[in-house]
Amino acid sequence: MKNIVIGRYVPGNSFLYSMDPRTKLIALIVLMVAAFLIQSFAHMLVALLLVTSLLIFGKISVKRVYLGLRPLMFLLFFTFIFQILFNQEGDEIFVLPLHYTALSIFAAVAVAVFWFATKKRVRFKLLYFLITVVAIFAVFHFIDFGFLFARGTFRVFEEGLSTAFFIMVRLIIIIMLSTILTITTKPTDLNLGLERVLKPLGIVRINTEEIAMIISIALRYIPTLLDEANKIMLAQASRGVDFQEGKLKDKVVQIISLLVPMFIISFQRSDDLANAMEARSFVPGQPRTRLHVLTWKRLDTVAMVVSFLALTFVIVSRVVL
Amino acid sequence: MSVIEIENVSFTYHGDKRALDNVSLSIEKGEWVSILGHNGSGKSTLSKLIVGLLKPQSGTIRVDGITLSASTVRDIRKRVGIVFQNPDNQFVGVTVRDDIAFGLENLQIERPEMIERIEHYAKKVDMYPYLNKEPHALSGGQKQRVAIAGILAMKTDVIIFDEATAMLDPEGRERVMEFMRTLNREGTTIIPITHEMKEAVMSDRIVVLKDGKVLKADKSENILKDKETLERSNLELLLPLEIMHYMNENGIDNPSLKEFLWQLSLNG
Ligand SMILES: Nc1ncnc2c1ncn2[C@@H]1O[C@H](COP(=O)(O)OP(=O)(O)OP(=O)(O)O)[C@@H](O)[C@H]1O
Ligand SMILES: [Mg+2]
Repeated sequence: MKNIVIGRYVPGNSFLYSMDPRTKLIALIVLMVAAFLIQSFAHMLVALLLVTSLLIFGKISVKRVYLGLRPLMFLLFFTFIFQILFNQEGDEIFVLPLHYTALSIFAAVAVAVFWFATKKRVRFKLLYFLITVVAIFAVFHFIDFGFLFARGTFRVFEEGLSTAFFIMVRLIIIIMLSTILTITTKPTDLNLGLERVLKPLGIVRINTEEIAMIISIALRYIPTLLDEANKIMLAQASRGVDFQEGKLKDKVVQIISLLVPMFIISFQRSDDLANAMEARSFVPGQPRTRLHVLTWKRLDTVAMVVSFLALTFVIVSRVVL
Repeated sequence: MSVIEIENVSFTYHGDKRALDNVSLSIEKGEWVSILGHNGSGKSTLSKLIVGLLKPQSGTIRVDGITLSASTVRDIRKRVGIVFQNPDNQFVGVTVRDDIAFGLENLQIERPEMIERIEHYAKKVDMYPYLNKEPHALSGGQKQRVAIAGILAMKTDVIIFDEATAMLDPEGRERVMEFMRTLNREGTTIIPITHEMKEAVMSDRIVVLKDGKVLKADKSENILKDKETLERSNLELLLPLEIMHYMNENGIDNPSLKEFLWQLSLNG
């Protein structure tokens, strides 16, 4: 549980770090909208290039962002495949005759089994999977002998390919941008920024300050609760609960033996905490002064202007094209 | 002048067993009064009543002459601070700095003054180098010192320590006791709540609670020696005083040894 990479602040020093969290939040939204509105292939590539250069100039390790992307790789990959297989609009741009013969089916299954057996030992899993898929297609295409059952064709349509491309690049851009935000902004600053950005919601009677207080207490207690969960797991393990493996029924017992004490302790804790807060003159909804203030710098104005210009450019080119 | 006056206060959580039963006591400004009692005797209940976290079913509580009520509770909390037992459950801020700031933010102290107080009181409890640290990087004793700084920064006249040293090691405990001494010397009214005789010896007065009632309230010297009261409230005599008692009961007369034992117990 200690290796959650997405949403982790990583200390560092660059213009992205010194930017106001409000700027980063608004810019994130503006740029996301822009990424969704881009229609031209070239613009999309330029956008991807720009976001990548943001990483480089912002001195963010590309590896960290890649680690943020990795859990979503398969999702990205499957949306891509899905679009290519099922979107059949536009011109045919690629046609591959396939032959389902006894021999080719056998060979394809063999390739798949081989992939399955060896995939744990390969470093670049996704690449390995891609090669396997290509290999299976190759098998069906080239092995046209040995008791033919049926023929088929694998078709890629223009629309399918371009939709797949757009969806994928958009998702990558969005994930990259939000990873940049969380890597360069302390959770407390992010929380404060969110509180300020959402302040207008006060009009509809949503008290953003209270929400921010809840989030900050949650942030404060997450490590404590994780510690506690670890302790309980050790305590239960010493009483014979096996957390490592087991069937579904055992899993249920494990989870209950963890959750019940967690709940009881958390209630005690929140009771104590509420008392301590109240005793220190906290009254929900009352005005408070704040230790942390956000300062708007020239850099923030520049960043804001650039993001809105990017959005305007995308909208204009969409209208003109 | 009395800073805290409690008159005929009773409190029941639910059911009919009273957690506090007709308690009256008053505490003078600048005094150091320990509240001593066995588990479940109502000590924590009393401290929660004083700052208005609980509302008594009957009786009145006055702080600095202000009678506690829904409309004065905020004034009273400006005057009385509590350090609770569990260092983890009273750490509100994400960092030490934020935690000390919490109370000040609530009191709407202006930012420059807030920063000044945070630094001053962090230095006072020796936590200045840790200002940017998060609570899980601190020991229990350090967290407890942060809690103390948080209360000190609010400049309350009275500080209640509700078993604030119970979860600390001897060294952490000694440091907290040291703060109590310094603060008391500087004029703050100190009210430690404990079930350990050792922690009460340094106080001016001791109030002994038993089953929600005040069993006895007297100068520390007198309570320390009062074997009967202590036994009735399931508390233990300090070891040197136990020896002294034995000497008295068996007619062993040795004034210099008795004097020595007495000094020993006063020094904790
Ligand atoms: N939240 C509660 N709900 C119901 N009963 C409670 C609650 N808190 C305390 N009590 C009961 O009230 C009585 C006094 O409790 P209190 O916590 O004041 O004792 P204490 O002297 O502080 O004990 P300890 O030394 O264990 O802290 C006890 O009998 C306890 O069981
Ligand atoms: Mg208690």
